[in-house]
Amino acid sequence: MPPPEPLLALEGVTAGYGGAPAALRDVSLQVRPGEVVGLVGPNGSGKTTLVRVASRALRPKTGRVLVVGRDPYRTPGRELARLVAVVPQDVLPAFSFTALEMVLMGRTPYRSAWGGGSPEDWARARAAMAAASVQHLADRPLEELSGGERQRVILAQALAQDAPVLLLDEPTSHLDVRHVVEVLAIVRRLAEREGTAVLAVLHDLNIASIGCDRLVVLDGGAVVAEGEPVTVLTEGLLREVYGIEADVLVDDATGRPSVRLGAPRAVGPPLGRRAHVVGGAGRGAPLLRRLGEAGYEVSVGILHASDTDHAAAERLNLVRVSVPPFSTIDPDSAAACRALMESADLLVVCDAPFGPGNVENLRLALAAASKGVPTVLLEQEPIAERDFTGGEATELWNALRRIARVATSYEELAASAAG
Amino acid sequence: MLVGSGRYRLVLALLAAGLVASMLLAVGVGAVEISPGSALRLVAWKLGLVDRPDVPRSTEVILFQLRLPRVGLAVLVGLALATSGALFQGLFRNPLADPAIIGVSSGAALGAIVVIVLGGGALLGGLGVSVAAFVGAMLTAFFVYRLARVGPTVHVATLLLAGIAVAAVISAVMSLVMSFAGEEIRSIYFWLLGGLSARGWTAVEVVAPLVALGVLGSLVLIRDLNSVALGEERAAQLGVDVDGFKWRAVALGALLAGAAVSVSGVIGFVGLMTPHLLRLVVGADHRRLLPAVLLAGPMFLVLADLVSRVAIAPQELPLGAVTALVGGPFFLVLLRRERRGAGAPA
Repeated sequence: MPPPEPLLALEGVTAGYGGAPAALRDVSLQVRPGEVVGLVGPNGSGKTTLVRVASRALRPKTGRVLVVGRDPYRTPGRELARLVAVVPQDVLPAFSFTALEMVLMGRTPYRSAWGGGSPEDWARARAAMAAASVQHLADRPLEELSGGERQRVILAQALAQDAPVLLLDEPTSHLDVRHVVEVLAIVRRLAEREGTAVLAVLHDLNIASIGCDRLVVLDGGAVVAEGEPVTVLTEGLLREVYGIEADVLVDDATGRPSVRLGAPRAVGPPLGRRAHVVGGAGRGAPLLRRLGEAGYEVSVGILHASDTDHAAAERLNLVRVSVPPFSTIDPDSAAACRALMESADLLVVCDAPFGPGNVENLRLALAAASKGVPTVLLEQEPIAERDFTGGEATELWNALRRIARVATSYEELAASAAG
Repeated sequence: MLVGSGRYRLVLALLAAGLVASMLLAVGVGAVEISPGSALRLVAWKLGLVDRPDVPRSTEVILFQLRLPRVGLAVLVGLALATSGALFQGLFRNPLADPAIIGVSSGAALGAIVVIVLGGGALLGGLGVSVAAFVGAMLTAFFVYRLARVGPTVHVATLLLAGIAVAAVISAVMSLVMSFAGEEIRSIYFWLLGGLSARGWTAVEVVAPLVALGVLGSLVLIRDLNSVALGEERAAQLGVDVDGFKWRAVALGALLAGAAVSVSGVIGFVGLMTPHLLRLVVGADHRRLLPAVLLAGPMFLVLADLVSRVAIAPQELPLGAVTALVGGPFFLVLLRRERRGAGAPA
């Protein structure tokens, strides 16, 4: 019997942000009805980008996406929301909604503009709450719930969309293992009963192994392995993709592999290492303490003396190069900062806005990175939206991007710095 | 279960009763007292339902020519400001947003002041100032919106900043214009502080269709207001046309705020406070919130206008000052209670 038509298919998809190198390169994958496919890979490998491409949030540059046989970019948003539901990492409502109100919002694609919801909407919302075991929380405000309950409410919201394709975007990133297993058990049941096609971005390889029918491994935006967990999760793959030494044990009863990490070689960087942070507009502040906690001595610059980051550096009494507010960077400060950058063990460039007053920082960083200083870019926001130099900052940023690692969150960056 | 819960219905009923009671009170209190019974009978007579009650002709004139249009205008302005506040708070995902936020109030004020200074107040059948204020409000809103738009997308944070910056520039221009004002300065100040005195039925007739359009349009946005509160990306995942929503919300919010400000001058606090306060009572779901706002906004403004009219009669207090004086402390008390109550089961 031929396999059923896939409900979600990506064919040769290349996608990315602005002029940056592609976050996804020629990615093809398929998810069939009733299948739970795990998407794994190191930070920055393109997992979340893939979810965005499949949910109509980021148009691919080449290749195509098909959701239930339709091109999401040619389907009205409302119709698409009936075909594909996303479980985001977290939802932060601006106002205090109850769990039931949240789940009813999952019926948005079916509801009239201002009606109170049809009996069908209510029934579906109730069924979704039952499936996610959150019925008893109906009248509780979301902000009073625990992390696990909250995540299940968000899951129920997506389930209420009644879509044949379900995308989970690291639904489990701040949950205890128990909640992660619960969420996966819920979507597995859904896949079995309703034939839903599930694509789940997962962090934990062992959970991916027990929870998924197939795994797709992304590295550097490309698919590097695909298949049943037992064929994909190998010691060689862990070494090549994740850079870790680990044993893979296969459970005799289930045939599922599990990863046992070897003893860590070293935790954190040895003392005496220094990280230099290029911040601005407060983008560096959250990092300064974290880098300190990770064992780094921290230097910052060049900052304007009025900047939030400057105030943070002052409080922490860090080595810093600063210039007066609203001035451009003078040659002496530039030289001082160049010395700090080039002698650093790690250079972190935050996603600050860059204008004529501070673009010099990017030139210095590029010079240092080119000389081999290990460099990480923090990119929570594309450079195009922070470039106030008319293009120069974008060019420099993209040049940096080619030789530096890229982190998309403070957590990721801290993890990357600690490793 | 949710929209139709008993407690919610009770709240709506109380608000409706409160609105009617405050309207009766407001038409009744003044230099000539009119009892609720007389007022109701007179209205019923006007509608052809009963025979003319036995009240002096002067009472009839006071009711229909002075009090009723004023209360009617207060209802409309209250509706407009409160609805506009709910829209902007939803759009900006911020409970502290209000109708002034995208420069509507300052644009309206500038329009009004220019006309006052140029002595054009009597134009267009006495509506010269109102028309100028409305045009000023709409132009400012449109300008701010265009400033914040990049391609098809409007960044809400940019919208906020553009609104603040444009309002600041307009304030400066306003100060300049006012420095050329002579004896008109008093009417300018009165306009800036807001008030509903001496408007008559014409203002009601002009503003009513605009407010009706704005309120009905807002009701159509209810579903999307909820989803957008979860963030734009999430709203899009739930099938909301986010760019279209933002455009409509700004247009309707500006229309409502512009309509209100054109007849009443600048009245603060109603748009900020009404939705925020009701969220504490009926919850954040806009399907429950908006109907409550539509009743509470008018009630608050009718009462505030009554206070402004009778507190130091025969003088009048500026209405904007009354809303702030009454609303401010009340709001603070509620905030305190809300914070203390946080963490307790609902």
